[in-house]
Amino acid sequence: MTAPLLEVRNVETFYGPVMAIRGVSLKVEAGEIVAVLGANGAGKTTLLKTASGALDCRKGQVLFKGREIQCRNPDWVARQGIAHVPEGREVFPFLTVTENLLMGAYCRRDRDAVLDDMETVFSYFPALRDIRGRLAAYLSGGQQQMLAIGRGFMARPELLLLDEPSLGLSPVLVGEIFEIVTRLNREQGISILLVEQNANVALKISSRGYVMEVGGMVMDDDSERLLRSEDIKEFYLGGREQGVRGVRRWKKKKTWR
Amino acid sequence: MTASAQSGETGVRGGAYLVDGCDTMPKLFLKKTAERGERVAMREKDFGIWQSYSWSDYRRHAFEIAHGLLALGLRRGDVVAIQSEDCREWVFADLGIMLAGGVVNGVYPTYQPNQVAYALNDSDCRFLCVEDEEQLDKYLEVEAELPNVEKVIVFDWKGLRDLDHANVMSLDALAALGRDYGREHEGEVERIVADGGPDDLALLIYTSGTTGMPKGAMIPQRYLMFQTSLTVDFEQNENDEILTYLPLCHVAERIFSICLPMANGSVINFAESPETVMRDFQELSPTFVFAVPRVWEKFYSRVATAMSEATRFGQFAYKLGLRLATPRARKLLDGRTPGLIDRLRYHLADALVFHNIKQLLGLDRARMQFTGAAPISKSLLEWYLVLGLPITEVYGQTEVGIVTLTRQKPLRQGTVGEPIPHVELKLSEQGEILVRHPFRFDGYLNLPDKTAETIVDDWVHTGDVGEIDENGQLKITDRMKDIIITAGGKNITPSLIENELKFSPYVSDAVIIGDSMKFLSCLVMIDKDNVEHYAQTHSIPFTDYRSLCVRPEIVALIDAEVRAVNAKFSRVERIRKFRLIDVLLTAEDEELTPTMKLKRSYVSNKYNALIRDMYGD
Repeated sequence: MTAPLLEVRNVETFYGPVMAIRGVSLKVEAGEIVAVLGANGAGKTTLLKTASGALDCRKGQVLFKGREIQCRNPDWVARQGIAHVPEGREVFPFLTVTENLLMGAYCRRDRDAVLDDMETVFSYFPALRDIRGRLAAYLSGGQQQMLAIGRGFMARPELLLLDEPSLGLSPVLVGEIFEIVTRLNREQGISILLVEQNANVALKISSRGYVMEVGGMVMDDDSERLLRSEDIKEFYLGGREQGVRGVRRWKKKKTWR
Repeated sequence: MTASAQSGETGVRGGAYLVDGCDTMPKLFLKKTAERGERVAMREKDFGIWQSYSWSDYRRHAFEIAHGLLALGLRRGDVVAIQSEDCREWVFADLGIMLAGGVVNGVYPTYQPNQVAYALNDSDCRFLCVEDEEQLDKYLEVEAELPNVEKVIVFDWKGLRDLDHANVMSLDALAALGRDYGREHEGEVERIVADGGPDDLALLIYTSGTTGMPKGAMIPQRYLMFQTSLTVDFEQNENDEILTYLPLCHVAERIFSICLPMANGSVINFAESPETVMRDFQELSPTFVFAVPRVWEKFYSRVATAMSEATRFGQFAYKLGLRLATPRARKLLDGRTPGLIDRLRYHLADALVFHNIKQLLGLDRARMQFTGAAPISKSLLEWYLVLGLPITEVYGQTEVGIVTLTRQKPLRQGTVGEPIPHVELKLSEQGEILVRHPFRFDGYLNLPDKTAETIVDDWVHTGDVGEIDENGQLKITDRMKDIIITAGGKNITPSLIENELKFSPYVSDAVIIGDSMKFLSCLVMIDKDNVEHYAQTHSIPFTDYRSLCVRPEIVALIDAEVRAVNAKFSRVERIRKFRLIDVLLTAEDEELTPTMKLKRSYVSNKYNALIRDMYGD
């Protein structure tokens, strides 16, 4: 068996003295979309940042195609083929759309291919083409999110780390963006590690999912099975049994089975 | 006991056990709450801050509930159930029910609705107290099966504002009803209490029932009064602090948290929740500690794990401390008095190392330690003794109460000690422990056959096998029905082997299997925290509990623990194969008793596939 595209093994990452993730392991196979679910503060973003090199871990390994990449500079990690689309877009506000996209291709030397890829981005996100000269600061939230994903794509990564792309977007836009993410995966062969709070959407487009709670993994399974799990339904999909009174305020104990 | 000698007689008179001249709990309650007034009786956290409640608060709340129940029409002998986690309302309601002449039926809050229905129907419960919305929903789900329940009283009304249900009311509403009733019926409660006698039924305690449905043991008032006599060679006083965290429906927690403090005036502190017990220990540092073996094991494994992580110096200091203090413990175990040198060495170790450990665990103020309700490993008791925390083992069961305990001097660990006064013990021909004393239970509710099987010629058959050693100390071998007879005809006591396994920080519980089999095998429940920690430090990737259990490294880890235990036993007693239970069990699961013990019969049925696999069919 060949090594998985990305493998995270028992990673522990600290913010000063505070342990944000305590020994997390996961795998992404080539060609897969893998979702990581969890509430605020569960450590999802920390996990992505550790994978992309933005944070150093104190223990554990991150393997990309079987090679250790943890605790390296993020630019080096990016050059290996991992693009990170951070939470909250983080586009360069005073650069235009085109410039932002070119920043994504900063490490690349194949000029012509870069221009082709820019066309590809515009074909996926036609909305961006019309405003390519505009400063990113003046874009709407949805446009910025598209730009951030486009910028990630411009690095031509093998693995795209997506941090909460649905954040602050209308349901219609969320639907659109997730459709494009699926297409990027299918048509461009990019594997995707997706961190989301919107469990419903994330589990529908992914093949496998992990659930994080207070810095650790509590569950992992095929996305279809997760969608059917009682605990996921109750805590992430908002579908709780109504109980005998028709209303219920208390929460079941989580068992993660 | 001695302090209050002048205020009334304590001891046996006729068929009653008197404490300060009182022969029932409600009488003692009236007397003691009047005496103690504004002194602190209990503490409970409210929004994270400890709040105190005095003995007069205790009295006022219990009276309101008693009056409220009387206003609802409670008559002497009616059953009122309490279905809640431990909290101050539990205790208020408990005494309130008894003051009004009712019988308390504690229902485990971990029960599922069908179990609730069974217990409430069996006890013919008229009124039900539930903790909150969650517990109320269990009742509502089976309401149709419970025509006898007239009113449900909810302690915590949060989330129920819009509820419109004729049979459900809040505790506040009951208290208001009680205040009105109390004004018009002054002296009624006192009259009811005065009419009560030691043979009145006080409680129904449903025994955990590892086989079949739970049985309701009928506990009279004299039983509760008698249990305060536990303080045979130690004293409990008003300065003692107790942490209440085991279910109050269980007889042990009731004795330690309600009966003893009522007699002696110690303060009880409610744990915030079953999950925070370790932190509550740290915060409170109780002086009087009753814990089940599982908790003592947990303390130990926390230290063991912390030590494996510690700096070289820390590990050195810990080992040195153990070496310094061991001679003192050895001498105590041999029944000798430790010399000056031994004591100095211990105090040095305590000052340098042990004090910090005890502080970490919340045992730095502990002066009396108890264990019971399950067998405990001898190695564990010795470790605590070296640390300067001798643990008193108590033995008993719902039917007879606590009947033996190990004495302080001479210390005889590994036995459950001698009977307390007024208790007679003997062994049947099969080695079964029989107990006789006048304060025992009155039989099982609605089960005359079971009662007749248990009480024969006034002797209660405990179902435990044991022996009495040359010093007159009782040793428990095992539950009679748990003794394994292998295909080779050897008798094996599984609990002995299981306890050694549980001493490992990586093993939380284990069940030995092998009845009529060629060899012994074992189902192991791993200790989640410690095994996860081990996996972390050894870079063994895992995600959830199940994935942890299937890692070959973890199986190898447990294998090493099993081998180490095997080395201590004879060839036929060795575990040849084992499997890990790969589901993380909680108190709600039927595999565990409410005190978190694995139920042997249940487990061996449920995991039959694993067992068959071990025996190669």
